[in-house]
Amino acid sequence: MPDIRVGVVSGASSTDAVAIDGRHRIVASTTVPAGPDGSGAGIAAAIGALVDDGVDPSRVRWVTLGTGRERRNVVAAHGVRKVAVIRIGAPLTLAVPPLATWPDALRDEVCAGAIVVRGGAEYDGRPVSALDTDAVAAFLGALGGSVDAVAITGVFSPVAPEQEAAAAAVTRRRLGPAVHVSMSHEIGSIGLLERENATVFNAALAGGTARLAALLRAATAEHAIDAELFFTQNDGTLMAVEHALRFPALMIAAGPGMSMRGAAQLSGVGDAVVVDVGGQSTSVGVLVSGVPRERTGSTDIAGVRTSLRLPDARHVPVGVGSVVALDSGEVAIGPASIGFDLAGRALAFGGTLATVADAAVAGGRVALGSHDVQGAARRGLARALKRVDEDLAVAVERATAGRAVTPLVVVGAGHWLVPDELGGASEVIRPPDGALAHAIGAAMALVSGQAERICPRRPDRRRAALEEARAAALARAIDAGADPASVEVSEVEEVPLTHLLRPALRIRVRAVGPPA
Amino acid sequence: MAFNLDALNLRALARGCAVLGTGAGGDPDLGVVMAQHAIAEHGPVAVVDLADLDDHACVMPCGMIGAPTIASERIWSGDEGAVLAGIFAALHGAPVAALMCFQIGGANGLLPVTWAARCGLPLIDADGMGRTFSGLHQQAMHVAGVSASPVALTDGRDNTLVLRATDDVWAARLAGDAAASLGGVCAAALCGMPVVRARDAVVTGTVSLALRLGDALAEGGIGSALAAVEQVLGGELLIEGKIVDLERRGDGDLVEGSATVQGSGAAVGRQLRLELQNEYLLAFEDGEVRAGVPDILCVFATDTGEPMASETLRYGQAVAVVAAPGPAVWRSPRGLETVGPRAFGYDVDYVPRAGAQARA
Repeated sequence: MPDIRVGVVSGASSTDAVAIDGRHRIVASTTVPAGPDGSGAGIAAAIGALVDDGVDPSRVRWVTLGTGRERRNVVAAHGVRKVAVIRIGAPLTLAVPPLATWPDALRDEVCAGAIVVRGGAEYDGRPVSALDTDAVAAFLGALGGSVDAVAITGVFSPVAPEQEAAAAAVTRRRLGPAVHVSMSHEIGSIGLLERENATVFNAALAGGTARLAALLRAATAEHAIDAELFFTQNDGTLMAVEHALRFPALMIAAGPGMSMRGAAQLSGVGDAVVVDVGGQSTSVGVLVSGVPRERTGSTDIAGVRTSLRLPDARHVPVGVGSVVALDSGEVAIGPASIGFDLAGRALAFGGTLATVADAAVAGGRVALGSHDVQGAARRGLARALKRVDEDLAVAVERATAGRAVTPLVVVGAGHWLVPDELGGASEVIRPPDGALAHAIGAAMALVSGQAERICPRRPDRRRAALEEARAAALARAIDAGADPASVEVSEVEEVPLTHLLRPALRIRVRAVGPPA
Repeated sequence: MAFNLDALNLRALARGCAVLGTGAGGDPDLGVVMAQHAIAEHGPVAVVDLADLDDHACVMPCGMIGAPTIASERIWSGDEGAVLAGIFAALHGAPVAALMCFQIGGANGLLPVTWAARCGLPLIDADGMGRTFSGLHQQAMHVAGVSASPVALTDGRDNTLVLRATDDVWAARLAGDAAASLGGVCAAALCGMPVVRARDAVVTGTVSLALRLGDALAEGGIGSALAAVEQVLGGELLIEGKIVDLERRGDGDLVEGSATVQGSGAAVGRQLRLELQNEYLLAFEDGEVRAGVPDILCVFATDTGEPMASETLRYGQAVAVVAAPGPAVWRSPRGLETVGPRAFGYDVDYVPRAGAQARA
């Protein structure tokens, strides 16, 4: 019986991979150069290295691919498609046209054209007016062949999805069945602009996800691995590749959540602050009962507010490769960084660039490189290290609201940067193999699905909606690759919608389970 | 003193409006996005003092009524202000000369900015509440005897209504019913009046106050938030701690309930209970009122320094609760009758907080 889980994390400069057996033991791990951008060379090489290291391809049952954690690179890393943006709701919503809040360059790159057509529903699901299907068809016709994907967002579609489905049907008739169509009621909840933005991202990223899926399939096939293939999700869980092709936006910022899952797995600690130190930046997040705490409210992706739910991870723009400016009176760290490419460049490796890694070496936190850091540099580096400690302490204190005394779990390839006492943490835990936390998280995470319903706040309607949402979340999780035999509801959230004469309730359910 | 609202200061205005929302009134961010778009297309909005306007010029207090959550989904057409101004001109026999927020707190501090930009009209540096109240009749104009009726309503898709009610409480009730029929939220204009009447019937200076508050909050973080409340509003910290109990009652049109904050740090051993009906209304400690309406209560998240809407409070959340004096108009007998604790069904009297400097 195949029992091995493989987690592969493809970062900007390197690719990590780990193989874990059915008894949760790490049987092999590797770090290889990423290779040329988008080539997937790193993925194939990393899997190859595991096989060379003795992993039997026939024992591999699941392979998960996670992508880098630098959120600002989302667009560059995934590539985008030209999206036709359709909003259903005129004459309402015209005060803010589609993509009005997007940075100009990104909008130009993504948007093939946008239209607001008549239609939409009320908060209780009643239609306001019929969908103007002629306007949808005419809009798509005028765009011709320049469209790779279509994003459809209707007013109150999370309550009444019918018009989005009708617009999707018109789209497929007009552009053919192969065109990617993202419907907002499958992507987000109430809050039109954030849901629309997330839906447009989802459509724009579909092509990149398809490429990534092809790379992963090729890399596993090359090494004779016949496994279930997964991608990592933003919330620290997994989804099957086929599912991800429909919902690529759910994987665009999966890094911090995966590191946190890996940290929980490695340390056995359920409630902790996780600090993941990388080459270019550090992320600080909070684990609650082994699950990454989610941010409340909307999330910024590439400067755009979206409804995507992400772990509440704080991004500190300091990594071990961050360049330290020693000549100025003030200590200046970054934003330039050489990542982990320290050899021959950083002072401790005989180079000429002072880096945060050199500061850690000079401060005795790690023994690295071949050269002593001398003289004036030593004083500047001591000041830089103090600044780094202060920045990390602030991030940790903010994460815990400066109150709870919590253990700190330190992971990431630059884990040695973090001192033994920081920001009032009760203790600093450095799990063995912490450098591989991200890949371990990818290998070990559960599969999840979510669903949301809005209903009148009456006991009978609430019960019915809750049942519906539970069933939908379970179905979504199973579609995402969870084992139907052991998937279960893990979280139910109910939020009243305020100021209504007929009060309503928003119910969100998440289901999780191990991969099938 | 006249100044402009433009792309540069809208964010600050929104931060100030969020604090003056006292836990309710909706997220002003959508208002920022709408106003940015309107200002980009139509130019900045002049904010003027009543002193700078003609005695007989017509003032239109306006904003939205209904559920902010719904407004974030069925976003405005943007033409509502012009539609309401057209109705008002016909009702009052004179063109509208300037718009005014009927409520500076929350989303309603921003929405009239969009309408003013699109109508090419100035916005008056004043509002009807100096904060947020859920009742449409809870206006300084009501205290001054300016009738809310006729109330003009539109839903942004060519449904319009004009209400003439027997009194302001009826006007609020009918407008609320109309909003439900119009999709849960609608645009409203009420208390039409000439400038000469408005001068002693509104809360003046509140747009610039929100802006100053927002500027003081620009740095972010809880320290800056507490300093801003103290310096700009003359407020003070009541307690810092975390939410240990949260009770939501009722299924009417309000989120009603209470939140108990257990003190931490210097406040260890203390407990503060917040009573809320959308807005934070009263703060009790040891059975005594520490602060309450019409004074301003605000809850900040300790980790971010952001003001928290009452519906976003969560068990375990670390918070700081502050109180600041509300506008003086509300401390008059008719003011307290309209928005004092008893107006919200609590059997306690308003207690001016010791040491607090009353805001004019």
